[in-house]
Parts: sequence; C-alpha cells; structure tokens
Amino acid sequence: MVKLCLAFRHRIFRHSLSEVRVGINLIAAATALLLVVVMAELGFFDGARLVRGLRNLGILTSEMIPPDVGVLPIAGKALWETVQMSFAGTMLGFLASLPLSILGTRHLFPRLLSTVARFVAAGVRTIPVLLWAIIFVILVGLGPLAGTLGIAAYTVGYLAKIYCELFEGTDPEVVEAVQSTGASKLHLVRFVFLPEGANAILTQLLFMLEYNIRASSILGFVGAGGIGFVMQIYLQTLEYRRLAMVLLLILIVVLAMDGLSAWLRKRFLLVAQT
Amino acid sequence: MSQANGPNIALRANGVWFAYRNQDWVLRDISLSLPRGKVTIIMGPSGTGKTTLLKLLAGILSPHRGQVFVLDHAIEKRTQRNLFPLIGYIPQQLGLVRNLTALENVLMGALGRCGHGKVLLGMFPRPEIEQAQSALDLMGIGHKASEKVFRLSGGERQRVAIARTLLQRPRVVLADEFVSDLDLALASEILGRIRRAAEEEQITFVMSMHRVGLRDFGDQVLTLNHGQIVPGFPTQNLQAQSF
Repeated sequence: MVKLCLAFRHRIFRHSLSEVRVGINLIAAATALLLVVVMAELGFFDGARLVRGLRNLGILTSEMIPPDVGVLPIAGKALWETVQMSFAGTMLGFLASLPLSILGTRHLFPRLLSTVARFVAAGVRTIPVLLWAIIFVILVGLGPLAGTLGIAAYTVGYLAKIYCELFEGTDPEVVEAVQSTGASKLHLVRFVFLPEGANAILTQLLFMLEYNIRASSILGFVGAGGIGFVMQIYLQTLEYRRLAMVLLLILIVVLAMDGLSAWLRKRFLLVAQT
Repeated sequence: MSQANGPNIALRANGVWFAYRNQDWVLRDISLSLPRGKVTIIMGPSGTGKTTLLKLLAGILSPHRGQVFVLDHAIEKRTQRNLFPLIGYIPQQLGLVRNLTALENVLMGALGRCGHGKVLLGMFPRPEIEQAQSALDLMGIGHKASEKVFRLSGGERQRVAIARTLLQRPRVVLADEFVSDLDLALASEILGRIRRAAEEEQITFVMSMHRVGLRDFGDQVLTLNHGQIVPGFPTQNLQAQSF
C-alpha cells in the first residue's frame, strides 16, 4: 500500500515537472516570436538602412577625430557645473529621502501613514529625471537650479523606495531586543535602523551619485544647465570634433567617479561586512 | 481575572495558549510560576515552542488565551514598552547592532531611562557611560569597549548582550538559547557569571536551552514538549532525544 502511494506521488510529481517544462518552453518560444515581430516593426530587418548606418558611423567617427582641445575651457566649466548639480541634487534628495523612507517603514508607523509615504515616493519616482528638469525649468526658469532640483526630486523617489525596503528588512531580533530596553521609535531609528543599514545606505547613495552624473549630462538639452547645453550646440552646428572632446571629458569624470566610489566602498564598507 | 503574583514569584503564566496561525497551537495551556532571584532553565527539543514562550513572558507576543504576570503586573500588549524596568530580553542571535561599538550596544540598555535630546546625537549622560563600562568590566571585556561588534568573537558578543541587559537593570531577564553556539567551557563560564549576577543583584533569570549538559546551572528546570510543560520529564529521555 505504501509502495503504491509512493509510486502515485512519484507519478504526480513527474507529471507536474514535465508540465512546468512544457510551460517554460512555450513562454520562451512566445517571447522569441514577439521579439522578432517587434524588431521587424522597428526596422531591424531593413538591410539597406543598416548598411547606410554603418557607413555613416565611419563618416561620423572620422569627423570626430582628433577631438578639439580648444573647447576645454568652455566644456570644462560646463562640466564642473554638471558635477555641482549632480552633487547638490543627490545630497538634497538623499536628505529628503531619509525621513520619507522612515515614515514608509511599516514596523514603525501605522499602516495608513506608511502607505501614504510609500505612495508619495512611488509618485515622485514615476516621473523621469528629464521631465522633472522640464517641470523645474517652468517653475524656476532656465539654468542649473532647475537641473539640481530635478535631480533632487528623482533621487528622493528612488532612494526613499530603496531605504524603505532596507529598514523593513532589519533583523527583527535586533529590533525586539532594543525595543525591550524601553527604546522609543526615534531611538530605534537612530540606534538600530540607521547603523544596521549604514553599509547599504552609503552604497546606494554612491550609486545614485554616479547615476546622476551620467543622467545630468543631458539635462542641458532642456535648458536645465550643465554640459548638455554645450553638447546640444555642437550637435546642431555639426561640430563633431568639439563634441568628441566633450564626450571624452564626461567619460573621464564618470570613470573618476566610479574610482572614487570603489575607493570609498573599500575604505568604509568592506571591513563592516566581515 | 487572576490575582497578581505572590511575594516570591517573579513570573507567572496562567493557562496560556498561543498560535501564529489560527488554531495551530504552538503553546497549549501553559501554567507556570518562576521564583524570584533564581535561575530557571526551560529545556526542550527544537521547535517545541521555547522561543514563543519566552516572547510571551517578555510581552513581545500576546497570548490568545490566559494571562502572564511579571512581579505584580499583568502583561498586556499596550504596556510592552513600559515593561523595561521589569523585563530584559536577550534573543537567540543576541540582537546586537553590528555597526556600533560594544559600549554603544551596552548603552542601549539605558535608552528607556534617557530622553531624546543629546542621546539622539550619541551623547549619553556621564553616569550611564560609567555604568556601561562597569557592566563590560564585570563581564570581563572592558578592554573591548570601543570595538565594533562585528569584530568581536561569539563569546564576547554574548557578554555584550548580558552587559546591555544588566545596564537596563530589569528584575527579570529572559534569554533565548543564547549560549547554544558556544563550546561547553565558554558557555559554563558565562552561565557562572549569570548565576553570580542573579545572587548579587537578586535578578530572576529564565533561559531556554537544549543542551542537557548545562541544566545544572539552573535552580529549577522546566521541560517543554509539543507546546506543553511536561512534569517530571526524566533526564535520560531528554538525552535520548538528543536535543
């Protein structure tokens, strides 16, 4: 009887496994078909157009070399403005995201309050940084102030979401142990949630700073200050050698930022994870 | 309504039932009385409800039926934060904040007495800092006060957790399997320190444990099996079940 039951269970198990496999294969085939259809509609199978594109790539590359070092003073100044915008926007967004994420932590506050805080963060995050920049250009006029506020707004939405999840993932045993000492909610935030999450808080902040430096280089396209404005002029006037110099400068800044982040992480975080 | 505890009883549970899911009882009709100033050890196999029982006694969980009394107070969910002068709780993984120093972790035992103001800036009153240092000295790790907890060994962390609870100055300490991960010699040493603290400070210690070899540290041993207190559960049966 036992053997019969085991054989039956084995059959059911095998049957369900093969059903899962068939399901996965069907989904994979449907996804591949959809991809082909979409690519066809987007022009990926237009051979003549792709060949023309390759030829243009060659022409564009030859027109970009050598980069024009004469634009260094103008581009350098604009790039410095971009770095300032990214730094100020990221830090402002970070400072605003902390209280919002604490309010959104369900362990600490009533469900209604945390849901409202999370809804605000999700709403802010829905709008892309370029659209935020346009909104602030309308509100405060052209220039780096609009770009900085746009970056700050996007950063709030992104970091608040990440930090909410982080605080809610704090080891409940630590929370219970400290709560049993008579700690208030403010004590918990100061002595449990922030120090326990310190590594992830810093990691996400550095990631956001790197991202914002890349993202803010195009905010000038909509009049929100920085290197984007210079890039737009060189693109419109077909001055590709000057554009190449600007792109090189952005690459150098992004690589330097990557290096700085890696150094900070190594210096302050790795030891804490042992 | 049950009456409060007698003068020699620190903790009492009257007909306590608890389930995490509806009707799936983890604890069934638990009634016990734990004497003041003594060390009580609750033994039993893994998954038998020891942690749940300690959380109920600490006021972290509320019973579905029955009631828990600590000294002269009935524990209710809404009073949990006000229990800190009475009950200290050490969870199985100790509940220490790894990115803070040993001294900062011990100082958390004083949070219930301290307001917000300067404390939120990390500035505790001088007497509290001195007492926290004394508690670490008592546990034999005063020289590690400024080390971050993640740098401490398992045994040192256990002592930090005890020191934090001592600074809290509760009348009852509930500790959940907190010497399980230590070798027998170190566990014996830490339990010896606890016994001395219980005698000197008249603190009631209640510890859950599954290692039979350490049961002699208790003045009283209770056995929990399948969510119920088993009266007179023979020691050789405990050994046979290889807890």
